[in-house]
Amino acid sequence: MAKPPARKPKKKVCVFCKEKISYVDYKDTSLLRKFISDRGKIRARRVTGNCTQHQRDIATAVKTSREVALLPYTSTAR
Amino acid sequence: MRRYELMVILDPDLEERTVAPSLDQFLSVIRNSGGSVEKVDIWGRRRLAYEIKKKPDGIYAVIDLNAEPDVVKELDRQLNLNEAVLRTKLIRPDQR
Repeated sequence: MAKPPARKPKKKVCVFCKEKISYVDYKDTSLLRKFISDRGKIRARRVTGNCTQHQRDIATAVKTSREVALLPYTSTAR
Repeated sequence: MRRYELMVILDPDLEERTVAPSLDQFLSVIRNSGGSVEKVDIWGRRRLAYEIKKKPDGIYAVIDLNAEPDVVKELDRQLNLNEAVLRTKLIRPDQR
């Protein structure tokens, strides 16, 4: 039986490092929405491909954004 | 002196014209004690991601200011005492 072809993991580059953004703004919801699922959960680093530092910045930005009701804690999509 | 960013969510039942003057009244605390208000940005009425005090939307305002920590704490306390303020969020954007 033929083995399924080995998946070459494509190395993703952190978008923030590439764009040289140092401060992730909690008010920029259109940007932050890219890093949350449609359920409102924060996407994992292996999904987004961000570096450790920027993933953390995003996480804190999403959390502050949730506190001021710009992003949902949960959303009942589906 | 520190740089702060204050986000205030106000009651949507408020007249939008009265927002700027009433915010200004709160900010006089900062001005009277040596701080400075850099920018007041009123976003206007906006849908909330979830209900706060049973209200589906709120009036957002973002204020950039320079002040001593104690003064800002006092401002935040006064805002929270007011019924028309749904929520406040104080952050220091320079803090890493």
